[in-house]
Amino acid sequence: MSPFLRRTRAMALKEFRHMARDPQVVLLALAMPLVLILVFGYGVSFDVEHVPLAVVDQDRTAESRAFARAFSAAGTFDVVATPDDPRAVEPLFRQSLARAALIIPEGFTRARARGEAATAQMLVDGSDNATATIALGYGDAIGLTLAQAELPRGLSAPLEARVRTMFNPSLRSAVFIVPGLIVLVLVIVSVMLTALTVAREYEQGSMEQLFSTPVGRLEIILGKLAPYFLLGLVQVLLVLVVGVTLFDVPLRGSVGLIFLAASIFLLGELTYGLVISIITRSQMVAAQIAAISTFLPALILSDFIFPIDNMPPPLRFVSSLLPPRYLVHALRSIMLRGNGLETIVSDLLPMAGFFAVMLLIATRRFRRTVA
Amino acid sequence: MRAEANPNVIEVEGLTRLFGDFRAVDDVNFQVRRGEIFGYLGANGAGKSTTIRMLCGLLAPTGGRATVAGADIAREPQRVKERIGYMSQKFSLYMDLSVVENLNFFASAYGLAGAERRARIGDALAQADLEGKGDLVTRDLAGGVRQRLALASALLHRPPIIFLDEPTAGVDPVARRGFWRVIRELSRAGTTIFVTTHHLDEAELCHRVGLMVDGKLVALDTPEGLKRTHVPGTMMSVGGQGEGRARNIAAAVTGAPGVLAVQPFGLRVHVRVDDRLAAPAAFGAFLASRGLPADDVEVVEPGLEDVFLALVQR
Ligand SMILES: Nc1ncnc2c1ncn2[C@@H]1O[C@H](COP(=O)(O)OP(=O)(O)OP(=O)(O)O)[C@@H](O)[C@H]1O
Ligand SMILES: [Mg+2]
Repeated sequence: MSPFLRRTRAMALKEFRHMARDPQVVLLALAMPLVLILVFGYGVSFDVEHVPLAVVDQDRTAESRAFARAFSAAGTFDVVATPDDPRAVEPLFRQSLARAALIIPEGFTRARARGEAATAQMLVDGSDNATATIALGYGDAIGLTLAQAELPRGLSAPLEARVRTMFNPSLRSAVFIVPGLIVLVLVIVSVMLTALTVAREYEQGSMEQLFSTPVGRLEIILGKLAPYFLLGLVQVLLVLVVGVTLFDVPLRGSVGLIFLAASIFLLGELTYGLVISIITRSQMVAAQIAAISTFLPALILSDFIFPIDNMPPPLRFVSSLLPPRYLVHALRSIMLRGNGLETIVSDLLPMAGFFAVMLLIATRRFRRTVA
Repeated sequence: MRAEANPNVIEVEGLTRLFGDFRAVDDVNFQVRRGEIFGYLGANGAGKSTTIRMLCGLLAPTGGRATVAGADIAREPQRVKERIGYMSQKFSLYMDLSVVENLNFFASAYGLAGAERRARIGDALAQADLEGKGDLVTRDLAGGVRQRLALASALLHRPPIIFLDEPTAGVDPVARRGFWRVIRELSRAGTTIFVTTHHLDEAELCHRVGLMVDGKLVALDTPEGLKRTHVPGTMMSVGGQGEGRARNIAAAVTGAPGVLAVQPFGLRVHVRVDDRLAAPAAFGAFLASRGLPADDVEVVEPGLEDVFLALVQR
């Protein structure tokens, strides 16, 4: 083994031992993803019944009435109002008298008769995220069933249930949450831990002792990353297993690819944690900077909760400089759409670039002087 | 130049370190020979640790130059680090790791592997009297044992030079004696030791002692040489009863012909005299002439403390 590898391994082994001597940290790191996925996962998956529905039937034909009835028949929706004007819907939402509205425009039946695409509109009050998600799903399903049942064979479904959410256009379902959750979990725990570990060595004076040995700065950096990198991968595995088994999150693409993307992300974020630590040399300051500067982007700028498409350009630009959105995008692409490496390369490259920049800063700023 | 040809393993010329405008180390010059125990004394903030850090390649000098084991500290800090051991003032071992885990880590950090590493770790355990106790957590060791373990761990790679920055601070006297026994054995075996200390009794055990005051090396010699140069004459210890008496004695003899220096020393007064008063009879007559009792007088050997006081007061 080369001296470089031997010393890097010694550093990594030492870090593992520190970690093992502090089992609460490991426990926290493993409990966190479980708690988060249960909170977020169950938060959006209650069963929804009797959603108050407003029906605006501007077509007023037998067919349009049958279409509306199909909605109330399923038990998911209760028709609570039948205004004539679609503009009456918003006040109903505001007063919480209705949470969903079905709008059948004039010409609905005529269009269907001609075999053209007939469009009914489903409006959902997005401010109640959980209900809205489910209501949308049911609305979609009822519309499609109707379309297939009533259409002459051979025609593709020309009835489109075009669904729109009001107030919260970014509505996310459990399926969408898992990729964002992986990002969140990784930055909360792993970056924090790495940010603390180097600062601790400065504070207790062991960094000076380390620097008096032939151990190089890259060896210290890589050795410090190793245990937290592995811990991060275990966290990804946990979220995936729980997501797939409890919440039926689809896993259409390659698991290997998921871990590849997560690994590149982790390396960048962990090295960022080291950079914070190297610059601040204080556990307190490092912890605060790490918490704010990684948690917020992961939550806000990752497309996890707020869609990037709806952001003002400056925020969108900032989000494009930070890794979270790329991992969220890559994971959705792999998990939900089953995309392969060629599609996610455009997400992997920016994350790899971030890692390279952080590694450069870390090695540059390291060991300039000893306190 | 082959290393054998040069008896000096540390050569320091004009070494200077500024922190802003503050001269922490100011134009320091000295050489240390192979196998020498080189002691570094000085008050808090005198610049001892700063000097050691520069010599260990941990801190770049602002001026001057130094070589350690043939390597230039500014240009080749990496080579310096391979050839030295260092016990820093603040930290020595990872408290949460076991004895063996610490030794394993530092052995690997110094590039040791395989059977050689195992053998060196065995030696280190023996040196620290910790055979069979390798699984103890370092935090649970007594301070003295911990420092001996730290020393053993800094010696794992058999460096020709070891730098010890206040290795016995906070260690009890018995453990300190054990620690210094190891240091003297190392020196006999040819290892060069550069050690800072606040304990003057430890400085007496050094081959040569340098004294730092405000970043400057103001004196450097063997302990005996320092005393000869800086505390010449004969030291008489005069007993007093009560503080007032001691102060009276000091006041009565200060400035008299033949008296070189007067220094209160606990309840006694150390009066340093030249040849004129060096004989006990002459000194007794001198005290009597000043109206002082001459029944409690002893000739004492000056200690490094007297050197220290003489130099700091100057
Ligand atoms: N990194 C630094 N930045 C600024 N000033 C420093 C730095 N390191 C040391 N000093 C100052 O340089 C002076 C010498 O410090 P040094 O640690 O060398 O003293 P010392 O002789 O080892 O003292 P002690 O016996 O307390 O260990 C002190 O006044 C200290 O405050
Ligand atoms: Mg010091």
